[in-house]
Amino acid sequence: MTSTLYEIISQVFSVPISEVNDESSPENIESWDSFNGLVLVDELETNFNIKFTISEITDVKNVADIKRHLKNHNVALDDD
Amino acid sequence: MEKKLSEYISLSKNITELKSDNKIKVAILSNFTLNGLDETLRVKTSELGLNYHSYVSGYDQYNQEILNPKSDLYNFSPDITFLILSTRNFFGDFFHSSYNMSDLEKKSLLEEKLKQLKNLIEIFKQNTNSKLVITNFNIPYYSPNGIIETKSEFGFHEMIEEINIELREISKNLDPIYLYNFNNFVSKFGEKNVFDYRQYHLGDIQITYNSIPLFANELMGYIKPLCGKNKKCIVLDLDNTLWGGIVGEENFDGIELGHTPNGKAFVEFQKELLSLWHQGIILAINSKNNFNDAIKVIREHPSMILQEKNFGSIQINWNDKAQNMKIISDELNIGLNSMVFFDDDKLNQERIKQEFPEILTVGMPDDPAQFSSILKDMNDFNVLQRTIEDKNRGEMYAQQRERKNLENSVSNLDDFLKQLEIKVKIKKSDPFLIPRISQLTLKTNQFNLTTKRYQEEDIRQFSNDKNFEVGCAQVLDKFGDNGITGVYIVKKNNDSWFLDTFLLSCRIMGRGVENAILSEILKSAKQNGIREIKANFIPTEKNKPAENFLSDSGFQKHDDYWIYKLNNDIKSPNHLKVEIEND
Repeated sequence: MTSTLYEIISQVFSVPISEVNDESSPENIESWDSFNGLVLVDELETNFNIKFTISEITDVKNVADIKRHLKNHNVALDDD
Repeated sequence: MEKKLSEYISLSKNITELKSDNKIKVAILSNFTLNGLDETLRVKTSELGLNYHSYVSGYDQYNQEILNPKSDLYNFSPDITFLILSTRNFFGDFFHSSYNMSDLEKKSLLEEKLKQLKNLIEIFKQNTNSKLVITNFNIPYYSPNGIIETKSEFGFHEMIEEINIELREISKNLDPIYLYNFNNFVSKFGEKNVFDYRQYHLGDIQITYNSIPLFANELMGYIKPLCGKNKKCIVLDLDNTLWGGIVGEENFDGIELGHTPNGKAFVEFQKELLSLWHQGIILAINSKNNFNDAIKVIREHPSMILQEKNFGSIQINWNDKAQNMKIISDELNIGLNSMVFFDDDKLNQERIKQEFPEILTVGMPDDPAQFSSILKDMNDFNVLQRTIEDKNRGEMYAQQRERKNLENSVSNLDDFLKQLEIKVKIKKSDPFLIPRISQLTLKTNQFNLTTKRYQEEDIRQFSNDKNFEVGCAQVLDKFGDNGITGVYIVKKNNDSWFLDTFLLSCRIMGRGVENAILSEILKSAKQNGIREIKANFIPTEKNKPAENFLSDSGFQKHDDYWIYKLNNDIKSPNHLKVEIEND
């Protein structure tokens, strides 16, 4: 694993890593629009070598949801 | 290594307007979601020192934008417009249902689609001087006909091929229209990488985010030559770059070139370089070696593809590579920013990168099998038009070496000039000359009084305008044809003419050609009863060679202008012959 989940989120949305937590969502991260949301999907897939389903992608409401789906794909997450 | 789309997006946020006046206005039209391309192009152009201004039309708005003469697209007045069309959306339902159609129905669908495209191109041309790059259509890898798709009378694949052929014909015949082979792009990276069903269903994204930076690279292939950022010369190391091993250590027979797998890789690389040379890219050598050891390989090795005559400058010595680079640049009269440097040695790469950041130093891997594909992946050698002068450039540099030899053997300049037997043919602009005239205004930096840059459309307008005279000069001598190497544009006012543009390609500077052209302009003005010629010298960082030309030629400074009173005698150089064509 080259980057942690929070590093990727922070980079894609251009927000400080300290501001990323389970509750981070399009509601509180301004640059989290549908376009950047899909860029994030792409980054996560490349980084963790997985493929999300369309349902998983459309289901994501916040970072906690992302973690849940990553676990379903057997991605071991460090304590971010 | 290509950056990821997310990196381009975050980088693009921090780009501020540069001080440079080199600006590019890009319009992007597409019939599917293409987010991220604009941001990537912004980063890539700013890396080249260009100010990027863009207009991205709304989703699938290309028809309205092109058909409405008052559209935001035309208001923006782009330099270059990319029209990017996916096969899927262009054919809509027919993308699937064409397989239930009769051949006749398919033929009439093809006619209708072609008419639509031709109409768009025609209207576009009427409304803007922008170049138009239109993508051809991707032929899907899949067909429900399976293995008999190619046996079908007029299959869907064949139909797309037909459209692509027609588009190619259009782009061949219309100067400002370029066809980008998108189908080739998809085969280069694979439809399964470029297209992803999830991204398609989620947001009609038909070029995946991973592929956007790669696609942007392809479009940069157009932007670079449009802004004069294309490369003209490849400077090569020898040991482990053109052949394997070190000739000084392994001797003539010990180097790898030819029959071994590695040896074949070097041969292949040389063949690709030779192909570029045939297209007008200049090759040069910058190598630390004993001259005699290395030149023997070039002259005598049976598997050597590149010959001495393919190199415009040969620097094989023990000098500093950066110093050699400067010598090559001077000898070829080519700016360092037009050069690419290939050297396997990381230390040499660093040396050149530090000393001359404007040179494109290629990071070469250890494996020679990759050299060819690295060269082929570069988008730096494109030109928008290839003139005869471009194609023959390699040969011209060989002739230039012979001229140098003569110059060194003759003791004074006058004798040298006389022995060159120079002939200057002055020609009025015509449709065949326009591309070259525009090209010279775009790239001539040194002997250029005003450095005004004109696209072909501009030159065409001047040429059709009675108030302007656009001319150029072909220069020949006993060693060969230098091609069209001088340009002038005169704006005619009642009794006074204005020298809008006067330039001379640097490779023929200092042979009296400039004086001969000017004197013909002066004579022609005098015959037309003109009182005076006004001119202007606009200094730039590079045009010092033209600084004193006006005063040396008898122009007097009045306020902001240089003026030549035509009641003076007109001097012309006597060591060369002048012919005036198509008067």
